[in-house]
Amino acid sequence: MDLQSFVSILISGVALGVLYALMAFGLAIVWTTLGIFNFAHGAFIAVGAYLAWQFGSAAGLGLGYLPGAGLAVAAMFLLGVATQFVLVRPFERQKDIVLLTVITTLAGATILTNLLNVVWGPRMKQIEPAAGGELSFGLVHLRSQEAIMVVVVGATLAALAWFLLRTATGRSMRAVAQNREAAQLMGLDVHRLYALTFGLAAAVAGLAGIFIASIRFMSPNMGDDPLQKAIVVVILGGVARFTYSIYAAFVVGMIEAFSTYYVGLYWTPAVLFGLMILVLIVKPEGLFGRRQRSV
Amino acid sequence: MSALLRVERLSGGYEPVQVFRDVDLVVEDRACVGLFGPNGHGKTTLLRTISGLIDPWSGDVIFDGVVLNRPGERRSRSSRNLNYDILVRRRMDPTRVARAGLVHVAQGSPLFPELTVAETLSVAVTAARAGGRAADVDMPYVLFPQLKARRQSKARFLSGGERQMLAMACGMLAAPRLLMLDEPTLGLSPKLRVELADAVHAIRATGVPIILVDQDIEFLRDLVDVLNIFDHGSISAAMARADIPDHDAVMAQMFGGAR
Repeated sequence: MDLQSFVSILISGVALGVLYALMAFGLAIVWTTLGIFNFAHGAFIAVGAYLAWQFGSAAGLGLGYLPGAGLAVAAMFLLGVATQFVLVRPFERQKDIVLLTVITTLAGATILTNLLNVVWGPRMKQIEPAAGGELSFGLVHLRSQEAIMVVVVGATLAALAWFLLRTATGRSMRAVAQNREAAQLMGLDVHRLYALTFGLAAAVAGLAGIFIASIRFMSPNMGDDPLQKAIVVVILGGVARFTYSIYAAFVVGMIEAFSTYYVGLYWTPAVLFGLMILVLIVKPEGLFGRRQRSV
Repeated sequence: MSALLRVERLSGGYEPVQVFRDVDLVVEDRACVGLFGPNGHGKTTLLRTISGLIDPWSGDVIFDGVVLNRPGERRSRSSRNLNYDILVRRRMDPTRVARAGLVHVAQGSPLFPELTVAETLSVAVTAARAGGRAADVDMPYVLFPQLKARRQSKARFLSGGERQMLAMACGMLAAPRLLMLDEPTLGLSPKLRVELADAVHAIRATGVPIILVDQDIEFLRDLVDVLNIFDHGSISAAMARADIPDHDAVMAQMFGGAR
């Protein structure tokens, strides 16, 4: 293999990793904080994309790319809060909350996806990229949109990490994740922190959807594949901390990039899922994981 | 004067098992009330009910003149089993209880394993401020100088004694109107027990009213104004400090045997 293709694969691995990190982040913080798996996460990705299209594109309200994306992310935050209130909060005191919320969030995903179908129709759409063309530095060639994505996602993830690690609210979220009872005894408002977590997860999912919709195409089912990938990422990384998912996202991105080149496009999902099963057998707590769950 | 905390005919437990019934407990302002009783008789469950972690089955918790629970009995079994938590309201809300200033330091709480001591204390400060109380940020390190050296250690690397200190420091940071300490010396070495006992004395000296659960009658005798004997899910006797018998007498009274 020549150097040129190797560099191209590396770059596409990084771009994929960045995207997967964004997709997996929401799934990971919902799991670490609330202890449930949100199967509506893929639908969030699709809804975010459609909202941004509706607000931003000329065929919709025509507000432009950035205002459209901003509005969509804000709306997704509210949708996340609402989803938590309707689909998760009612079951909070149930012993089998994990199983119950699998069904309720799956139901939520179906409802949202069909809603998209009804409102916008099944035809493929695309959000006009913020910047067209390519950038090249020596051997490195990448689409401008991908470069923007890498930068924006990097900044977003850094901001989220700062929020969770350094701010009072973020610290409270981590505290609730680690010991709900002790947090309640201190007087933290657990319900508000849970709603905030869900809103944050949905907003980040929406952002991921916007990027997917401008690099690829969007359809009401566009969230299915990202949800699968996000699950692989979260399980591979281990659910102990949200940072583990971010590392794992780049591992998965690289594996996918190389496997697409060497093994072929059609077998790549099989490779990823095979790897996931292997990790579950050999190191069930994840590549980076510990058993303890905490944000 | 009115009592700070008045627990009236409180019953509760873990569905479907009733653990304690018709408990009456009064704590006067600035008083220290002891709760003494054998393992497994429901002392911890009582405290968990008073702080709202589990719903009381019947009875009232009146703190500072405010009834903390919703009025009425618990719902019928069929409605309690409804999935919709929002429709079937809990009778008590632990966040509200804590924010009213009734602070419970749980028994052997692991706290937040992945947060450092400093982070844990800052969470306590955040919670206290959210409840509208001013927290004295330096107080924990004055009360527990050992914690200062462990500021950057995660809670899961702390020893049992240090963890207990941290839990009590968090409780004190909440600027409590009443502090409930559930066996602060549980499972600690004799040397550490002395240190923790000193800390409880120090808290007592600040004038904060305390409900203190412990198994060590000598320790309780030094601290409490009133000692309640908790036996088979109800308070069987209450005595003033002067009347508290020594360890052997209590053992004889509870379990029988020669004096």
